[in-house]
Amino acid sequence: MRRIAIQSLLHDRGKFLAALAGVAFAASLLLVQMGLYAGFLSMASGIIERTGGDLWVMPRGIEVIDNSEPMSGAARAAVSSHPCVRRVRAMVYTFVSMRKPRGTPDAVTVVGFEPGGDPIVPSTFHQGLPQDLHAPLRAAVDHLDLHKLQIEGDPIGASLEVAGQTVHIAATTEGMRSFTLVPFLFTEIQNARRLLHLADDRASYWVVDLKDRRCVDDVVRHVRRHADLDAVSTEAFIESTENHWVKGSGAGSALAFTAILGLVVGVVIVGQTLYAVTREHMRELATLKALGASDGEIVGFVAWQASLLAVVGGGIGLAQSLLIQASIAQAGLVVLFTAPVVALGLGAVCFMCFVASLWSVRAVLQLEAAEVFK
Amino acid sequence: MTAEALVRATGVTRSYGVGALAVPVLHGVSLEIRAGELSLLMGPSGSGKTTLLSILAGLLRPTTGAVELCGVPISSLPDSAAARVRRDNLGFVFQTYNLFPALTALDNVAEVLTLQGHSLREARAMALRSLAHVGLADRTHHRPGELSGGQKQRVAIARALAGDPRLVLGDEITAALDSATGMAVMEILRGLVGPRRGVLIVTHDHRMERFADRILEIEDGRITIDRRGGHA
Repeated sequence: MRRIAIQSLLHDRGKFLAALAGVAFAASLLLVQMGLYAGFLSMASGIIERTGGDLWVMPRGIEVIDNSEPMSGAARAAVSSHPCVRRVRAMVYTFVSMRKPRGTPDAVTVVGFEPGGDPIVPSTFHQGLPQDLHAPLRAAVDHLDLHKLQIEGDPIGASLEVAGQTVHIAATTEGMRSFTLVPFLFTEIQNARRLLHLADDRASYWVVDLKDRRCVDDVVRHVRRHADLDAVSTEAFIESTENHWVKGSGAGSALAFTAILGLVVGVVIVGQTLYAVTREHMRELATLKALGASDGEIVGFVAWQASLLAVVGGGIGLAQSLLIQASIAQAGLVVLFTAPVVALGLGAVCFMCFVASLWSVRAVLQLEAAEVFK
Repeated sequence: MTAEALVRATGVTRSYGVGALAVPVLHGVSLEIRAGELSLLMGPSGSGKTTLLSILAGLLRPTTGAVELCGVPISSLPDSAAARVRRDNLGFVFQTYNLFPALTALDNVAEVLTLQGHSLREARAMALRSLAHVGLADRTHHRPGELSGGQKQRVAIARALAGDPRLVLGDEITAALDSATGMAVMEILRGLVGPRRGVLIVTHDHRMERFADRILEIEDGRITIDRRGGHA
């Protein structure tokens, strides 16, 4: 049945290509929606993920990275006193007001990091190198934020007024943007403290690297003995930050809803396409039924055609999605295709084709073999 | 000695619709189709001959009455079992050929044999023999779109013949063919009749009578005449 189903599908090239276009469109719609959702999650927690560490120490009550408060150096000392702690890195993360080159007031998120760390924060550079930030009031912004920041031409050497001080752009980053659309301003920790008028031992977060990851719970308990401090594992901080924005803001829910809508639209498009393909072959199916094909074999005819359309259409849909990803990245929209997203997306495409084929299966099961004489 | 009955219908009625809107098509038809005979079922349009053919083949269930196909009560079997009985005992030839346009002549025949459980290699070898039997050994790799009407009908006969069925059923098989081609096709079908095999053809073409052993005439859902044909 496989041969006859596939050859029948391929026989009419025009209709096959039309069906394939329908499935590919539905697949790319679904994949892009899922990629946007994954991109949204990644942008919400990207700084935490890129900074790494085993756990993060913060003032008690903080659940999301964006709601930071500066802590004293005593907190660092408290954390470092645990024997399992290998390293404690300071991080500044806070919104500040700024003035663009043409005088427009706006805001940036200052991200202050310790130089020479591993991993390097920021991790991906579009222009310049991490060492270029190793000077007073030097900073990096994402190359896709340059237009928003009114920086035209070569950004290296351009200046911005941040918290009343002049900051020079020494490098640009790639893929380091916030979904809140407030640009990140990456600078070394001393510069961040200077911009924010913080003492040299203060930070928004202490990022802790452990000698042994199995100590996480013990170190968390150790930190929580201090009434004003809290600590969570990096994974838990990523999760709480993502949950905050996905569930709290409604933006993530809207994206999730559109992804589900994409699945529903996909089911309808593929269902219509498959049904039209099946209707084309009703006479052949009635003939097969008359000649003694079982219901299982007749359903197999539809299943093979649906599978071929799912595999080829899904592949084309994925290629289209990668093109869409590249083209809309210029507009600052992040469509993230990690291996799990692609696997889940293609699984959803197969599910979509399976559900969509049920209409066709129902139609062929209801087909009377006696139709063959009409 | 009386030849074996391949199909036995007893008191078959069939109505379309239900209740007061029911339209009766067949009225208590009883008949036997035997091996060793080519039988014609003739009648005007709307007389119920195609409905009767569908019921005899187990494609439709009678409203009342019973049908036995090769000794199996096909009218009372579930669809899946009826399909198996058809697969093992029947060959079909249709008015509009009902070939699969995507497949070559060889595979049109072989595909039915794979339904019967033959491997593709085995099915193709059998299909080749069957196509040679109907004079199409040189057209095995042509698709239906590349064949004439007569050639398509011969492929359909090869398909019907390939599984060595007990009974070959045909529905208006010459209607789409010119006179000479129609006669040639009937010659082939006549040649299929044997001691274990019968042929039943629905037609309203009286020129076919000379090939028949037996002619059944149906009118308004009743068998009105059962007579000997020109070949008897």
